[in-house]
Amino acid sequence: MNLSLFVQQILNGLTLGSVYALVALGLTLVYGILHIPNFSHGALFTAGAYVAFFIVGSLGANYWVGLIGAALATAAIAMLSERLVFSRLRDSPPLHDMIAAIGLLLFIEAVAHAIWGADFRRLAPPYPGIMRVAGTVLPIQRALIIAGAIGLMVALHLFLRRTVTGSTIVAMAQNREGASLVGIDLTRVSLITFAISGALAAIAAVLFAPINLISPGMGNLVILKAFVIIILGGMGSVPGAILGGMIIGFAESFGAFYISTDLKDIIAFALLVAILSLRPQGLFPAPAR
Amino acid sequence: MMITRRRVSTGLAAAAMFGALSGTALAQETVTIGWTGPLSGGAALYGKNTLSGLELAAKEINDAGGFEVGGKKYKVEVVALDDKYSPSEAAVNAKRLRSQYKAPIVFCPHSGGNFAMQAFNEQDGFIVGAYTSVPQMTERGNKLTLRIPPSFAGYIDPFIKIEMGGFGKKLGMAGADHDYAKAWAALIAPAWKAAGGTVVAENPMSYNKDTDFYSGVSRVIAASPDVMFIGGASEPTALVAKQARELGFQGGFIVMDQAKLDEMAAVLGNDMSLLEGAIGTLPLIHDSRPGAKSFVPKYRKAYNRDPGTEASLNYTTLNAVTEAMKLAGTVSDATAIHAKLSEAFGKLSPERNPSNINSVDPKGGSNAVLVVGLVKGGKVVPVDAATGTISN
Repeated sequence: MNLSLFVQQILNGLTLGSVYALVALGLTLVYGILHIPNFSHGALFTAGAYVAFFIVGSLGANYWVGLIGAALATAAIAMLSERLVFSRLRDSPPLHDMIAAIGLLLFIEAVAHAIWGADFRRLAPPYPGIMRVAGTVLPIQRALIIAGAIGLMVALHLFLRRTVTGSTIVAMAQNREGASLVGIDLTRVSLITFAISGALAAIAAVLFAPINLISPGMGNLVILKAFVIIILGGMGSVPGAILGGMIIGFAESFGAFYISTDLKDIIAFALLVAILSLRPQGLFPAPAR
Repeated sequence: MMITRRRVSTGLAAAAMFGALSGTALAQETVTIGWTGPLSGGAALYGKNTLSGLELAAKEINDAGGFEVGGKKYKVEVVALDDKYSPSEAAVNAKRLRSQYKAPIVFCPHSGGNFAMQAFNEQDGFIVGAYTSVPQMTERGNKLTLRIPPSFAGYIDPFIKIEMGGFGKKLGMAGADHDYAKAWAALIAPAWKAAGGTVVAENPMSYNKDTDFYSGVSRVIAASPDVMFIGGASEPTALVAKQARELGFQGGFIVMDQAKLDEMAAVLGNDMSLLEGAIGTLPLIHDSRPGAKSFVPKYRKAYNRDPGTEASLNYTTLNAVTEAMKLAGTVSDATAIHAKLSEAFGKLSPERNPSNINSVDPKGGSNAVLVVGLVKGGKVVPVDAATGTISN
């Protein structure tokens, strides 16, 4: 076995896993609030990429300004969706949330389509260079994805564990009634959670866009995988989302290299079936409600 | 039940027709040209490109006052319905275009939709305007089919000759897993071997499912090929080529005709040098034949971007269809119109015929000529498809 090619696949797996994990993290946090998987999350990923494309491509701003702008704008869209749609459905059956989420997904996608059209768009990489070490290739943008994702995960962990606001989100995810009883403001926590999930999706999209293409349907692929990841990791679990993202990322990269691109999805989903049949509750089940 | 339903729809259609006729007794009459193809989803851009050629032709015909058949002036209206690239929806759309709009021809830019329409177009009486280069399209004996682009089989020999001669005998297959790409792969791999080469890797990309191509591309590169076969929509294909270069590949590319070299370069920041040694279909903007030369500025003016061959071929075809209607003396009898298509293509002036089609064979295949381009010294140079010689 060729070592440098093996290391190459580890890097590829880390890149993909990082993007998946960031998207899945937002999804899993919102699951704690909505108790349904938020289908419109994939559209937030798309929205983030287009906002950055607009700021960088049309306004000519710096990539990092685009990244921050996209995170803020997408957080705002997510908060709006909470206020205008999901908070109004709080007492309805979960099916209503689910239908609303799908509606929102189609709506945001259609808006992107109406403004920017069906053309593929491209966000130029801020650092187009490539690092080469002993036969292993790592474009700087891919290194940025990995570093950015790890940095955000650590920050999110510290926020959830070490701050009062973070603890209220965790408390809400564990038990909504209990959290209200001890005086946690439901509306405030919901808004913060949606904002974080939107920002994470946008950052993932803007980090990933320079090595990929921007199109109205770009979120669909990623969100499908994020669903699998949060089921794999345990619905509502933060470490589960990260580990699940990495498992799917590595399964795809090693599967595509050592077996075949044709079969890599089969490998990833066979892994899902295997893990779920051994641990139906996921890798890190949320504490009992 | 079926009979009743059909009667009702005929009745409705007749009522609608009568309404249209009585309402616009003095106005010109209109012929509807049907189009079904992807207007949403991943292939939406491709769909719009094919449609734009028809719309530009229709606009020009109407601006010139329409066309005359049997003493009456007609205008052309293109009615486009979205089928999301799905054969079953294309079939439903075609039924609707025929029964509701009385379209004598329905254009469709994907092989699946065209095959689906071939199941009933003779019975329903409309021509399938097949924008697909799959060779089987005209091999099924359908009497009302027009295959617009040339069959892609003609690309195989010049592509192999130039790439094998220029880079070496080892081919890495990194095409794609959709039907069209599979049909290509099934022709190119055996032909490469027959020419004395070896296929060292086979790892098609999945453009509908992959978020990233790095691992798949590195698997092909690991087999150290001299030439890579790639292809799909232009933009993701460009990413595959770029990633191959990043991973150290220095050989040539055989680019499946679905991808266009100029559109690929646009994704790579207009840097043709990354595609050095790539052979593919010649981008229309590099085509120096007179019809193409006059079409490019017209299209740029109307749409503010460069046209591809999907626009020019459809543009030529709609011009020929209206010409065939004139020759046949009917705007509704599909069989009579189809019979005059070959003559109609031959009569078109170069300005109306940027694709240089001048006849249609008895099976319904146009004689559009393959045009091949090679990236050499950072520029696209035309290649003679028949002899495989590079012009300088």
